[in-house]
Parts: sequence; C-alpha cells; structure tokens
Amino acid sequence: MYARLSEYWSRWLDRRIPRNDRARLSQRNLFILPTSAGVVFGLLLLITLITGINYQNSLILLLTFFLGAVFVAAMHQTHSNLSGVEFTLVSAGEGFAGEAIPFVVRATSPDHEAIALTLVAADGSPVTASIKAGEYQDVTLLRSARQRGYVSLGDVRVETRFPFGLLKAWSWVRPGTLGIVYPKPIAPPYAPVALEGGTEDSQALVSLGQDHAELRPWREGDMSQRVLWKRFARTGDMVIADWQGEAGNPEWFDYDAYPGADRELRLSYLAAAITERAGANPPVPYGLRLPGLDIAPDSGKLHEAVCLRALATFGLTPGERV
Amino acid sequence: MSTRAGDRPTGIPGKALIWLMAGFALLLIPQWDRLPPWLLGACVVLASWRWVVQQGYMRMPSRWLRYALMFGLLGFYVATVQGRFTVDTAASFFVLALGLKWMETRTARDFYVLFFILIYLSAVNFLFVTSLAWTVLNLAGVLILLVSLQVLNAPDQPAPVRQGARRLGWMMLKTLPVVILLFVFFPRMAPLWSVPMVSGQATTGITDSMEPGSISDLAQSSARAFRVTFGGDIPPYPERYWRGLILDRFDGRRWTQSEAPPSGRAAPVAIDGGVGVLEAGQYDVLQEPTFQRWAFALADSMPVSDNIVETPDNLFRFRRPADSSVRYRLALSSTPGDWLTELSADDRRRYLQLPVEGNPRARELAAELRGRYESPRGVVDSLMRRFREQPYFYTLRPPAMTDNHVDRLLFDDRRGFCAHYASATAFVLRAAGIPARVVAGYHGGSAGANNAYLIIRQYDAHAWVEVWLDGRWHRIDPTGQIAPERIESGLRDAMAAEGSFLANAWASPERYQNIPMVRWVSLQVDRLNYNWQRWVVGYQGQSQLDLMSRLGNRMSLAQLGYLTAGVVGGALLIAGLVSLSAQYRRRHRDPVMVQLQRWQRLLAKAGLPVIAGETPAATAARAADCWPECASDLEAFARLVNRHYYQSANKQDLLTLSALNKRIKTQMKAATRNRGARIGETMT
Repeated sequence: MYARLSEYWSRWLDRRIPRNDRARLSQRNLFILPTSAGVVFGLLLLITLITGINYQNSLILLLTFFLGAVFVAAMHQTHSNLSGVEFTLVSAGEGFAGEAIPFVVRATSPDHEAIALTLVAADGSPVTASIKAGEYQDVTLLRSARQRGYVSLGDVRVETRFPFGLLKAWSWVRPGTLGIVYPKPIAPPYAPVALEGGTEDSQALVSLGQDHAELRPWREGDMSQRVLWKRFARTGDMVIADWQGEAGNPEWFDYDAYPGADRELRLSYLAAAITERAGANPPVPYGLRLPGLDIAPDSGKLHEAVCLRALATFGLTPGERV
Repeated sequence: MSTRAGDRPTGIPGKALIWLMAGFALLLIPQWDRLPPWLLGACVVLASWRWVVQQGYMRMPSRWLRYALMFGLLGFYVATVQGRFTVDTAASFFVLALGLKWMETRTARDFYVLFFILIYLSAVNFLFVTSLAWTVLNLAGVLILLVSLQVLNAPDQPAPVRQGARRLGWMMLKTLPVVILLFVFFPRMAPLWSVPMVSGQATTGITDSMEPGSISDLAQSSARAFRVTFGGDIPPYPERYWRGLILDRFDGRRWTQSEAPPSGRAAPVAIDGGVGVLEAGQYDVLQEPTFQRWAFALADSMPVSDNIVETPDNLFRFRRPADSSVRYRLALSSTPGDWLTELSADDRRRYLQLPVEGNPRARELAAELRGRYESPRGVVDSLMRRFREQPYFYTLRPPAMTDNHVDRLLFDDRRGFCAHYASATAFVLRAAGIPARVVAGYHGGSAGANNAYLIIRQYDAHAWVEVWLDGRWHRIDPTGQIAPERIESGLRDAMAAEGSFLANAWASPERYQNIPMVRWVSLQVDRLNYNWQRWVVGYQGQSQLDLMSRLGNRMSLAQLGYLTAGVVGGALLIAGLVSLSAQYRRRHRDPVMVQLQRWQRLLAKAGLPVIAGETPAATAARAADCWPECASDLEAFARLVNRHYYQSANKQDLLTLSALNKRIKTQMKAATRNRGARIGETMT
C-alpha cells in the first residue's frame, strides 16, 4: 500500500516538476501550507474569537480579524517570496565514495527580493540563502555518496517560512545532471603483479621520446650531458633527465594486476594507486589500463580526474547504480 | 538529527528577543494596576535575567533552579488568589506563566510559545481597558510582536526591524478594508457562557453606603462617571439631578440601603444600549464601569433600552454589575410623579426609621418645628430657611465629626459637605415624623466638545433628600440653600473661595480648565474617546442590527453570518486575482527581455539551445558558426541587448530588436531551405 502510494507520488511529482537543471518556481510547482506554529496560531485566533463573542468585546473581535487578515497577507507574502526564483545547477560535483559530493546551485531572483530561503538536499543539512532583487547566490549542497558511480543530487527541497514562520511555501528543485563518485581508495595489501604484455607496450612508449622520462634531482656521479641546462638557466635547479633507468618506464596501473580481488575492490586499489601517484612531487607519469579502455600515461590534475572518472564510471551507463 | 528545515535547533537572535521583550513590556502596562506588585517584579527580573543570558554574562538557570522558581512563584500565586476564579485571577496566572517562560526560552519553538501567550495577553487586556489610548498601546504591542517574529525568521537581513515594520505596514494597509468589513458584518452573537470578570474591584464612585466624608473624598477625583447625550435640549444645570440609589436606613453614623440588593451573578453586563435616532425627550447614558448594578438617571425617567429595569422607587438597575462601560437609554416621562399616591405602613416605617438614641439636640429641634407648624411642608420650609439664613458653610474640608454628628453640624461646627447636610436634613425630618430618604447620585455635569453631550465626573457626586409630601416624593437640597453656586454652576465655583477644588489632583487636566488650550485639548480627547466607546467598543447586538437595517433590509444573525463568509471569500478571491495578475505582469514587464527570450527560443528551435549562464554575445558567436548567413544580425542583436542593459537604454532599442528578430528568422528559414537544396543537389 505504502509502496504504491509512494510510486504514485513520484510519478505525480515527475509530471508536475520534471527533472531539469534549471527550474523556475511559479504557482504551478509551489506548495504552501501552515507550519505547526501556523496551526497553533489558527487555534489561537479561534480562541480569541470565542473570547470576543463571549465577553461581547468588540475590540477583541477587531484584534482577531486583524490577526486573521495578517495571516492571509502572510500567505501571499510567503508564496511570492519563493515564486519567480530560478534555480540552476551550476556544477555537479565529483568526489570519493564515502565523502560528501558538492553540487553548486545558483539561485537567481530576477524581480524581487527573496528572503530566508532554505535549501535541503535529500540527506544533507539545510543551507539558507537570501537574494536581492536581480541578483544571484551560489549555494553548495552536499550529497553523501557511499558507492562509486553516478550520483544524482536528488530532490532538493526549497523552502521559505518568511515572514512570520506561520506558513511554509516549498517546492522541489530536481536537477538532472549527475555527479561522479570515485571508488573509495583502498591501499592493496600486496604489491601489484607484474604483467608480461604490459611491459612490451610500455617499452615501446618509452622509446617514442623523452616525454615520459623521469626527472630527478642531480646527484654526485651524474654525467653533465644529462643535466637539463635549459631548465637550470630558467630555475637554477640541476635536474637530470633519467630515461634509461627503471623509473623511466611509465608505470601502468592495471586492472588485471590484482588477481583474486573482485571488481569493486580492484577499482578501489587502482584509485588508491592513482591518488598516491598523483600526489608525488616531482610528478611521475602514469597510465591506466582497464578492460576495454587504456589511458595513456600522463600526469597532472586533469589526467588524475580523467583516470578517476574512468574508474568511477567503469562498467556503468549514466544513471545506472553499481 | 532530523534534516527537515524547521526542526533544527536554532538559537534566538538577540534582536528578535529584545523586541519580543519590548512587546511584553508594552502589553503589561494595561495590567499594571491590577497585578500584584510581586508578580510585576518577578516578570521584570525574569525577563532581564533572560536578556543577561543572551548577552553571555550568565547561564540559563539549571533545571532545579527553574523548578524552584516555578513552584515558589506558583505557591505565592495560589496564596494570593485564595481559590477565587475570575477573569482577573486568570489574567494574572497568564502573566505568571509568561514570566516563567522567559527562563525556558532557548529555541525558536519557545519563542513561538511566548509569542502566542503574548498575543492572547493583548486580547485579555481588552477585557479590562477599552479606551482609544489603551487600544492604540495594545495594538502597538501586537505590532511589535509581529515585527519580532520577522526578525526571528530573517535575522541576517540588514535593518530587519525597519524592513519588518514597513512590510507589516503594507500588509495592514492592504487588509484594512477587509478588517473593517468583517468588523461591521461579523454577527454579534449572544455569549456562550459567562465567567465573572473580576473579584472585588476597588473603583472610585458612589458606594452603597454613605458616611460623613464619603462624598467629599469623591470630590477630589476628576475621573469620568458617565456621559450623556440628549435627544432634545440639555436640561438647565440646576435640574440635573442624576439619581443613583436611595439610602433609607440610618444607624447613627451611616446611611445604607435597607433592602439587600438582589445578588445577580457577576457576568458581563449587556452593553447594548438601544438603537435608532435619539428622539426628543430621550437620552443616552454611557456609564464607566462601576462594578455595581445601579444606573444613574434623571427623576421621572422611563427605560427605553432593555438592559436596564426600573425599580418601584423610579431607580434603574442593570441585570448584572457593570464591569465594562455600558450604554443605556432612557426617556423623560411627560406626566411626572404619579407612580405612588399612598405610602404603605411598611414603607412609612421604613422612611421614618431612626436609631433609638443619639443627636438629642436635633431631635429637640424636630419636636419644636413639629409643634410650631401644622403641615409637614411648613417644617420642611422652615428647615430650609434655617440653612439659608443662619451661618452654615459648604466646605470640602469639614472638621472631623465622630459621635452625634448631626448635632455637631447643626449647632456647633456648621461646616460640612453635601453628605453632611443631606444626612442632617433627613434626620431632622424623620425625627419630626415626616418620611424622608437620602438620595445619592450626581448633580450637574459639564458640556463636552461642541456642547454635544454632558460629561459627569466623580467630583459631581452629590447627596440630597427626598421627602414625602402630599402623596408624592419631593426633592429638597439643603446644599442649594447654603451654597447656591454648587447647584447653579457646580463645585468648581462653589469652592472658588476656599481653593480646595481638586486640590490634591494636581495632574488632572480638569484642574486647569481656565487655560483655554488645556480645556480645548481635553474636550477634543474626550469627544474622540466618547465616539470610540459609542461606535466601536459599543458596536454590539442591537447597534449592529440597527446599522444593517439602515443600510438595507433587516437582517438576521444567520444572514449576517453568510455575509461575513461572503466578505472573507470575496477578499480571498480578490487577493488571489491580484497576486496572479501581479505575477503575469512581472513576467511580461520587460519588453526587451521578452525579445531576448524570443530570440533564444528561435535559436533553440533551430537546434541551438542556450546554455545556462551564457551571455547573449557567446550565444551569438556559437550561432554564427552554424549560420554564417546571419552572423552580423545575430551579433548586432547581442550587442544591442548588452548596450541596453549595461550602458544606455534607448527607446528605439525595442523596435530594432524586434526587427532584427524578424530578419534573423527569415534568414534562418532561407538558409535551412538552401542547405536542404544543396544536400539534395549532392544526393543527385
């Protein structure tokens, strides 16, 4: 019964508020109800009304009507505070499983001041924003992710109780763009197995040029021809281009190097290897080899992100869960 | 922790708290003279404590301290209330609960609880005070509460108080017509049940007994007793004797009523004083609360409104003690004095009653007068002549009289106030075998603004005598013999020489009536209050039905109920329509924006949706790549939009934009057709 109801509810919501990275609130998708304080206020008005009738006191009746009218005016105020506000998903975040994934939503109020809006992601803590007329404000919402893959921000409840807190107007902002969750890095308990097939490829790549040579500081005994003098002239550092040693071989992180582990664990091991290598200073290039996907060795932030994204979405189509 | 927005624990912003406290202080003012001082003190201390906590100098009290405070103050309260249950005691319990609540106000929820209690306190205040000034103060308190709620809900706004006040002002302005309509049309039903208002209230005014000195105390008060509007001419000053009650029992010191007043259950008195145009010979009295049942009236009146009943002595009584200001209507009878022709034996005894002994010299005088004159009228005339011709003095500062005060007044001191002379006259007449009684009430009254009505104040309190002659009661007033000014023009003139008029009431504007400015202002204020009391506070029952019948046909309460529902429904409908149209206008207000949106829709239809946050220039650049044919127009459009919004807006902008839009549209269509043709060519 409950399942059917919630099914019906989500279908109705999909119809009423389709998933969209950009949403403009209007009376079509805005809801308004009294808060619990508002309900108590209503009861209070009833009591003052009865008091006024019972003691035949015109002034108490006047007070009651005044407060009732203010309540209705507040209803319009609360509704129009939220109405016309636009929400745009500016960036869908990326992060590791087990962390909170940041999504940035831009709230724009083109024609009026929108005061004390509260945005709550499905499992996040509330964030408040107040926007001046014609301005915008970026709000970062956190979505906790347990598993790698795609993560949706879900339904963000946008609510306001301004001005009196007696009524709440709310709607849902339902961005479609998904965030990406990298596998949780787990250091492998054993060293990766060296693979035959991989070495040949890497040898071939090394011989292509100096691009993948390892750079290391000069130490005693190094030949002066191998010092990068241009770099010395620029920075004053004596750096050796060491493309003949074992480190000159760009390391491949290979999906198949962890026999016995299941898919998710392997991806976690690879994520650990990548984050460890990406933190190396000076940078050391690395490549990633997944079944059906090779990412050529490189270094840098962008490369790291490309590799981690490949791990995150490995074997998944957008929207699919692990 | 729950994740819903409203459930999270929130601290209370200091600004919201201080305004709530300000509202609390304002709403306590109307209660200050009714509440026990310890309770007021406790409220002030507890609220200040909470404020000090807010400032961070102290902690909230521990639970045990809170309990100790609560039970301590509750015990105090129970001890002072002593089991009486009235609105009065309920109101002080309310204030006690409010004071204690400050100690537990930690979260927004507690703030709301306080807000609700304070709103109800303002309603309770209206049970006790109804004048215009109090109403304004009370409403100001409510407005401050509403502002503090707004501060609570948007603490991060700059100048939240000023903003909130302005917003509230707008709300009030917009809803004012509906509030007025509701007030006018809401059916005034009969009370559902009744609770006594007050437990024994001390007010200034005439009481049901008279001792020497009791009325001269009243003469020090300029508080209003009642106001009267006459349908015809206002009777001349000397004729304005407002009879209140008859004191017929004398115990040697004080005069009381021999009949025990019927014990009406204390409950709100019907304040509805009849309706319609005031005809000649009728008059409306608006009496301040006396917490007594008697109503004041001229002699030979008949009741018109049905909230008063006439007693056999031509006095008037409310059905319940007047615990609020009450309006009633009377008519002057054209055939006066025929309500009794013969005194029954019981009545005769009653009006001749005297203590067995005391005041021997007065009794001697009575015997002597009785011997000298044949008729009772001769005795009465002779006594009045005595007061007129012998040196008796009318004074607000009579010597203290203890025993045999009639003797001392008549033969020794010869100085007294109206109560003394009335008492002495009735005593002598009774001793002479002539039925007599003391009447307590008011005499005189000064004109209100524009002579529209009379104001009778406490210092107009008066006592005189009625004597049974020739088969009917006659009014005689010894005061008029001694101090004719008192009867001709009032106490002020009578006391001009002595300088004792309102000698202790230095703050009363009545004392400074010789200054024209003060006089004018106080009259205008009184008129404002009079109309407020008559038309707003007194708008109940019959007044409502009367107004309705004047507006159209006579309506029943049920019809009024439908009308009220109609007013509410209509107001909601209008408000909804107004806000809808405002939304519509808002969306279509900026014609340049409309053109921009049309442009974007055009591109989107052609397969180039606008990316969120993209500037028009960037969109144009992207579009130009796809349609080089209209690149210049696209760029011109984007440039113009930019210039319009960020540099200078021209009146022609709109026309140019719409022309550009049209041209781009046709160009795009042509381009698409051309491309289709070209693709067709390559196919063949």
